[in-house]
Amino acid sequence: MKVPLSWIREFADVPESAEEIGTLMSVRGLALEGLERHGDDTVLDFDVTANRPDCLSIAGIAREIATAYGRPMKDQGGTAPEPRADTTVSIPVTIDAPDLCRRYAGAVADVTVGSSPDWMQARLTACGVRPVSNIVDITNYVLLELGQPMHAFDLDTLAGHAITVRRARGAERLKTLDGKTRTLTGDMLVIADAERAQAIGGVMGGADSEVTAATRRIVFEAAWFLPASVRITSKALGLRTEASVRFERGADLTAPVRAMARACGLLEQIGAGTRAGGVTDTYPITHEPRRISLDQRRIDGLLGMEVPDAEVARILTSLGFDVAPAQSGRWMVTVPAWRVDIRRPVDLIEEVGRHHGFEHLPATFPGVQQAPGPSDPRLARDRRARTAALGMGFSEAITFAFIEAAAAEPFLGGHPPVALANPLSEKFAVMRPSLLPGLIDAVSHNRRHGRRDVRLFEIGTRFDPAGESRGLGLAWTGLATAEHWSGGQRDVDFSDIKGVVEQISAVAKASPSYVEADTPYLVRGRSAALIVDGRPVGTFGLVDAAVAERRDLPAGDQVYVAEIDLDALAASATGAPMRATTLPKYPSVVRDVSILVDDALSAETVRGTIQSAAPSTLILIREFDRYEGKGVPDGKVSLSFRLTFQSPERTLTDDEVQTATNHIVDALTRHVNAIQR
Amino acid sequence: MADVRTDADLRAVRTRWVGRKGSWVAAFMESMATATPDLKKSLGRGANELKKEVEAAIAERELALAATRRPANAVDITLPGRAPTLGYRHPLSLIRDEVIEIFTRLGYQVLEGPEVEDDYHNFEALNMPEEHPARDMQDTLYLATPLMPPGNPEGSPPQGESRIAREVAHRLNPQPLTLLRTHTSAMQIRHMEKHDPPVRLVAIGPVYRKDNLDLTHTPMFHQVEGLVVGAGITLADLKGTLGAMAEALFGAGTAVRFRPSFFPYTEPSAEVDIQCIKCKGAGCSMCKRTGWIEILGSGMVHPAVFEAVGYDPDAVTGFAFGMGVERVALLKWGVEDIRLFYENDLRFLEQFGR
Repeated sequence: MKVPLSWIREFADVPESAEEIGTLMSVRGLALEGLERHGDDTVLDFDVTANRPDCLSIAGIAREIATAYGRPMKDQGGTAPEPRADTTVSIPVTIDAPDLCRRYAGAVADVTVGSSPDWMQARLTACGVRPVSNIVDITNYVLLELGQPMHAFDLDTLAGHAITVRRARGAERLKTLDGKTRTLTGDMLVIADAERAQAIGGVMGGADSEVTAATRRIVFEAAWFLPASVRITSKALGLRTEASVRFERGADLTAPVRAMARACGLLEQIGAGTRAGGVTDTYPITHEPRRISLDQRRIDGLLGMEVPDAEVARILTSLGFDVAPAQSGRWMVTVPAWRVDIRRPVDLIEEVGRHHGFEHLPATFPGVQQAPGPSDPRLARDRRARTAALGMGFSEAITFAFIEAAAAEPFLGGHPPVALANPLSEKFAVMRPSLLPGLIDAVSHNRRHGRRDVRLFEIGTRFDPAGESRGLGLAWTGLATAEHWSGGQRDVDFSDIKGVVEQISAVAKASPSYVEADTPYLVRGRSAALIVDGRPVGTFGLVDAAVAERRDLPAGDQVYVAEIDLDALAASATGAPMRATTLPKYPSVVRDVSILVDDALSAETVRGTIQSAAPSTLILIREFDRYEGKGVPDGKVSLSFRLTFQSPERTLTDDEVQTATNHIVDALTRHVNAIQR
Repeated sequence: MADVRTDADLRAVRTRWVGRKGSWVAAFMESMATATPDLKKSLGRGANELKKEVEAAIAERELALAATRRPANAVDITLPGRAPTLGYRHPLSLIRDEVIEIFTRLGYQVLEGPEVEDDYHNFEALNMPEEHPARDMQDTLYLATPLMPPGNPEGSPPQGESRIAREVAHRLNPQPLTLLRTHTSAMQIRHMEKHDPPVRLVAIGPVYRKDNLDLTHTPMFHQVEGLVVGAGITLADLKGTLGAMAEALFGAGTAVRFRPSFFPYTEPSAEVDIQCIKCKGAGCSMCKRTGWIEILGSGMVHPAVFEAVGYDPDAVTGFAFGMGVERVALLKWGVEDIRLFYENDLRFLEQFGR
């Protein structure tokens, strides 16, 4: 709201500079957005919060400033008593929709349309309103000064010289002042003459009854419209005006006649015309002021600072409230009609607090009555996963949770995407079903900005029709090893990403099994799924070249990715509390076994065979070599295992270890056709 | 000997004094041939002593020289080491952890909540009924097809009649999830619905608004929400708490200022400024010459919010605040473009801590 200082000073006695006023008001609830010089005048631009329609006016802002400085308002202020309506009816007004229009004041005037005087034009311009003609300028001047929107009709264009306030008839059409023809719906309020709609109530006037140079007689309108109705209409028509903004936040039900008197006064003052006859004031149910009982102790109780009683009374009275002492430490406070935001005692306490000054608040701390409740267990769990990923060289990424539909497509897993109804753009059309599209894009960004080696991870939410889940996504391209002058570098491969997945599982205390997976965005033969309790909890492998290409990754880039469902992994983790075990007292014995088997045979099968044939003293099986090539027949592979035997009760003898090893080799020979080497 | 610096110097000294030929000792031995036997004996003893002494001095010098000599297999310790790769933390994650640490220290529980919300928890229960103008303050992103929430999570046993009625109603009629939460305040409601006061929590996570990307806006950003409810909680308690947070985040002595404002779910409401961290309040371009920078919105919980969750507004009061994590990071580290947080450019990420 732009307010010229000269105009403010007509209402409040503030000799202070605009800068001083702006600084003080910023800590009293009216944030100063800007200061502009306009000739001799200064225009203050205040940010008025949505709850304060009364401050969308010079009078309202002046009242705040006067209160802040402890000065009285000058007489012609908005607190002046309401003038009585004249009883001479000059224009008949019928309200057919009293639920949407609680008050309608009209007055007829004979006018000579021309320009308004320079001073009026200057003020309107300073407030950002374009001068149009003396009549329209008067309506805008009153709107700015008192916050009461007004309208002027050309009386001779109104059929039957009468006004009806009613709901629009089905599909009624009206050309509004902006030249657009609008089709109205039955829930919209119109101001009609005897035949048709001539204005949309509280939103905009109609072009056919517009005041023009040829206009001789006008009807001024000052009315009160239901906020919700104006809001719905304005939204439905996509039409926001100075009037609609004020009505939808709540106008002053007592203002219309006061505004009408001001408009008629201005009419004569600038020589634009004279009122003909009286003011019609259709006002079936008069405003009943709200009364709030305020407990003095509640003020200190809520603010935590003491405000002297006299100061409380001064602030509220200055803001237009009536404060009367009531029984036992209470006041009965009557709320002025323009303060539509004041409904409860706390609303009054806010008024007292902000005008006494939040700068007087002491800095205290809430007392503790009981121990805090537990934090979300996901926090500690995610922190462990994050620390592990960082330790394995992955940097943390945060990507947008909405992505392109095409980027999401390969990751949907048969579900429809969770799409947005009103996305910001095509790039943010669907909620991500997976963390990987975002990470692949982030890898692509880094590759295109000169990075060869990229390791990124993200912990975040994925969305599918069943709801949300928390996942860990990882992406790795380039070198697997640190770059070093001594050489020995190699690129990332499947085993690297699997190792990362194994470590993350171990950190989560889960022991997944691994199966080959056919995943649309991964290369077959280079991809796997993690299974826990028979359910898949993640996938990993090499990103399909076509997927990589679509995300603008340089051709030939090998990007390995993994994604783990942290919720599912946590659910599967053994809940058993950690227990320490004593260290073994007896030495362990190691035996190496090398065998030839079919190259299609999985290591897991071989390990399983060993396990099933081994005594309980076999505590560890480790693959330490896998060899194909010279010396090994085609279709075969040489596998070497290191077997570690140990007993918690005694030292194992060479004989029993050898017997166990022989037994294992026998089993391998029988079950997987192994040949010992 | 003091002049002997190198192996070559040492060789020269040895040749000159005790070498087989042409040295002082050799020359002396030769000249001794013509001496009388008696004299020869004593001269010979003297010559030997001299030789021993010189050789001892040479040996001593040789040791000293060896101690300063670089071993043949010495490594060039100035070459870079073979560093294991260590990832970098995302700056937003660093701020998030700092905030969690501060409030854990102050005895708060830390919560996270759903990102897809229903209208009730995001708006209605927060005193923003349908068609409330304040809904315009946060332009909302809606789902094309609402999601149905999963089965009712367990909460503490309901207390009081209205609570039971509400819990039953919620169980029987789970609300469809229609929107992306516009603020973490939705978590306040979810928590208070299930737990009686006192409450002392921070909720943290991503929130979504239909804002175009520019230097200071992204359609997804992160928020920290704080909520304390109990008997006798005051606005002054909020000021103390936020002052402590500002000092922890921005350094000791960082002052805070409350400016009255409006939020539908708090009354009184205040926007909170910190003293400009660049000019320390003197006024600069960063703070638009005011000396202050806005960091969050806050206030005393509105009685209508307490009524929505079945708390008695006459028995308890509370404060709440909501702060943008990105905003803190922008200010704290002088990041000039908020979009950098979502590009995940390693050249950017590597500027922050690990």
